[in-house]
Amino acid sequence: MTPEKPTFFEKIQNVDKRILYLILIVLTTIPLFPMFSSIVLPNEPAPHSQAFYYQLMSVPEGKTVFIQSDWTLSTRGENAGHIESLLRTVMSKKLKFAIYTVADPQAPGVYRKYIQSVNAERKRAGMKEYKQWEDYVDLSYFPNAEGTLNAIGSDVRKIFNKRVKDPASGKDRLVFESPVLKDVVKVGDVGLYVVITASNSFDRTVERLSDKTKVVVMCTGVIGPSTLPFFQSGQIKGASIGLKGAVDVEYMMKYGLNYPDSTGKIKVPWSGKEELKADPVVEGMTIARGSLYFMSFHAAIALLILAVTVGNIGMFMARRKKA
Amino acid sequence: MTQSQIDLFNAIKITCGVLATLGLYSVLYKETKFFRFFEHVFLGLAAGYAIVALWKETLYPTWWLKMTGVMNEGVMAEPAYWVYIILLPIGLLGYFVFSKKHNWLSRIPIGIILGLWAGQQVQIWWQTNGPQIYSSMQPVIPTETTSFFKPITTGAGFTPERIAEINAQIWPSQAINNFIFVVTLLAAFTYFVYSIELKTPVLKGFNKLGRWMLMIGFGAIFGSTVMARFALVIDRMYYLWFEWLESIMRVFGR
Amino acid sequence: MDFLAQVDPRVNFWATQPGSVEMWLKILVGLVISAGAIFALIKMPTRGRRPVVMAFTFLCGLFYVLLWIWPSPLNRKPDEIARSPAEGVSFLLADTLPIVATITNILVAILLGLGVYSLIRLHGGRIIKRHADRGFSVVLLVSMLTITVFGYLDWGMRTFGDKEGKLLDIANWGFVNLGADLLFDGLLQQMDSAMFSMIAFFILSAAYRAFRIRSVESTVLMASALILMVSLLSAVVVVWNGNVTNLAAAMNVPLANPSIGEAGALNFLKISNIASWVTSFLQTPALRAVDFGIGLGALAMGLRLWLGLEKGGVSV
Repeated sequence: MTPEKPTFFEKIQNVDKRILYLILIVLTTIPLFPMFSSIVLPNEPAPHSQAFYYQLMSVPEGKTVFIQSDWTLSTRGENAGHIESLLRTVMSKKLKFAIYTVADPQAPGVYRKYIQSVNAERKRAGMKEYKQWEDYVDLSYFPNAEGTLNAIGSDVRKIFNKRVKDPASGKDRLVFESPVLKDVVKVGDVGLYVVITASNSFDRTVERLSDKTKVVVMCTGVIGPSTLPFFQSGQIKGASIGLKGAVDVEYMMKYGLNYPDSTGKIKVPWSGKEELKADPVVEGMTIARGSLYFMSFHAAIALLILAVTVGNIGMFMARRKKA
Repeated sequence: MTQSQIDLFNAIKITCGVLATLGLYSVLYKETKFFRFFEHVFLGLAAGYAIVALWKETLYPTWWLKMTGVMNEGVMAEPAYWVYIILLPIGLLGYFVFSKKHNWLSRIPIGIILGLWAGQQVQIWWQTNGPQIYSSMQPVIPTETTSFFKPITTGAGFTPERIAEINAQIWPSQAINNFIFVVTLLAAFTYFVYSIELKTPVLKGFNKLGRWMLMIGFGAIFGSTVMARFALVIDRMYYLWFEWLESIMRVFGR
Repeated sequence: MDFLAQVDPRVNFWATQPGSVEMWLKILVGLVISAGAIFALIKMPTRGRRPVVMAFTFLCGLFYVLLWIWPSPLNRKPDEIARSPAEGVSFLLADTLPIVATITNILVAILLGLGVYSLIRLHGGRIIKRHADRGFSVVLLVSMLTITVFGYLDWGMRTFGDKEGKLLDIANWGFVNLGADLLFDGLLQQMDSAMFSMIAFFILSAAYRAFRIRSVESTVLMASALILMVSLLSAVVVVWNGNVTNLAAAMNVPLANPSIGEAGALNFLKISNIASWVTSFLQTPALRAVDFGIGLGALAMGLRLWLGLEKGGVSV
């Protein structure tokens, strides 16, 4: 007895996975070419991204921001866009920042690279570069996230008792003598506490610091959903989640939030919070890495949805035929 | 090093990275010795880096420098707290796990680590979940019933006082939203109740509803995870095609 | 009670001059005393083992519990002296926190050697026993040794041989620094990223083959995932929402936001509003319930471990 030939619907349920992989590679690569990557897709930022951008733009000029950068190059696809847009915004607003990590010893090497690259970008555009000691301090790695964050909450000057080189004197001095941290006595004195992470280090930050300072998060999509209960309860004031979050922030850097353009039209309205406004970023790059990857992202998601749909249609039709 | 030497090094570095990436990606076609070679290189590098990082990033700054102090141009910057030496034998007790007779000693450093973790849980639980419990107590009874839906305030020309008055009330549509929120939370939460038997149809139905609500949450997690992983693939494609080509062109294109 | 005071840099019994003979002598004495204590523990009768482990666990946990429940000092000045025993305890807890914060990390770092030893033992054994795949074990051990050597040499050069910070500029790098950078940044980081990204391919093929509407639960899961994924495609969302807005304008229906209770019949058709409503009122409480469940479990387990109630836990 000859075996039944598979029907069309059975065949479409069993396409070789290597063909799918190849299609994914092609679909994610083509939109990266310059002819496509220069297209800026229209966007509607999510409410939590809007809240994030509003909080960042509300920090007064000259205030210090703490940046806890806990990611490494393994999640560059999302977190690189986050840190680049954050640094561009902070530098354009002339905010000072202290940057460190509590999660990964590889992280300081990673964030230093991005501070250098954004500085180089500013130099090429004729803007002022950010200098260590005067404009920012690099506090490097603190092992034991739980203990360090507890200590930041109780006595930030004790845990941040590191020394960095003061370029003026050439000597190593305590970081709290620098212009960046001299006015910070407790963690509540900072303008904003930003966590950029790919792990649950933001959980630990929220557990220990959310009642002491304003915390916002820039995280990968994997842990994004777990930030939303904290956002809903007010423990974090805003969240930029994954690649979409990076694109949202870049979009608002370009068009502002509840900000009317030259024709009076508001490109990014914030539903329910029409009275809160945030300006666009006036100097430096705005649309960048996030938007570069966004079209490829559309193609990849469309492929996934198509694959799931085709698989289910195949299953239903095959069942019907058998019945 | 001159700039051209730096560019050459970067090109070699990125080329090695590309080869390693393609080596690992070859498993998508078929598992071969080529993939296994790169897999073992990766494991070896990761283990070796952990050995370097544990001294460089952890033991040296937080233990050795604390124990031996720091001198800065002949002046004492940090004193030497010699008592930190006791952490070394305590940590080394962990290696008694290989001893058949004395392996109970390895539980001492583990006990210290777990004790410190456990002591923090009380504080953490309340600080994390306290505000969430509070914000979960949503009003489910409407305070204003002149309209089912909340009046639209955007562009409606209301005075700020009227807008504040509208926002202060709970309208029936909001009460329903809040009710759905609370029911979803309680249903999903009761799914984790294992200590009592769910006998009545109401409890069983509620438990089933909780399972469906959890599926909605897991759907959100799946969607977000998909976004994250695809972003990483796109970044790898950018690295493979564009960053590598750019580095090669910088070497030859001068 | 300032015997563990970190803020006071004066030389005292607990803090000595760096590099002095006194420092090394005290370290040696500390080691000898610790060795004696370990010897005493080895000789301990079986009955005494559980109380010892429980005591260590309880005392360490007690620190953080006390830190939470004891009143903490406000506006404390650097040289302030405690005015009462209660304030003294609060000062002690605050001063000791940075030390205790590092204990876990130091102990974990020392214990990491167990994992490294296991890896070396496993692959070394394969090489010695001439296992079929011993070649790969050689590759693993050679990679491990190479990055360890380069890593330590690079660290040593930067920490002890480069006071001016010249090595921060790549132009001043030598063979060792280039090698360390190639192994770490060029290979390890990229391979790490590649491994993470491969999951996307597996998600795609798994979703294609296994994501089938076979039950109510799988339908609900798929619907939730699809709504979220479509809401991430901003190009689709903007076009769709734009059409809904145009239709609303044509039918003279006002704009509204259902997530805050406003109505506008056609606005329920906007993908962003649907996704926002599902996220706010279905996904967030479901995930919060999961967090509550995990939190309660962690709290219960923490209390059981701390109080030594966990049978077969840390205690013998």
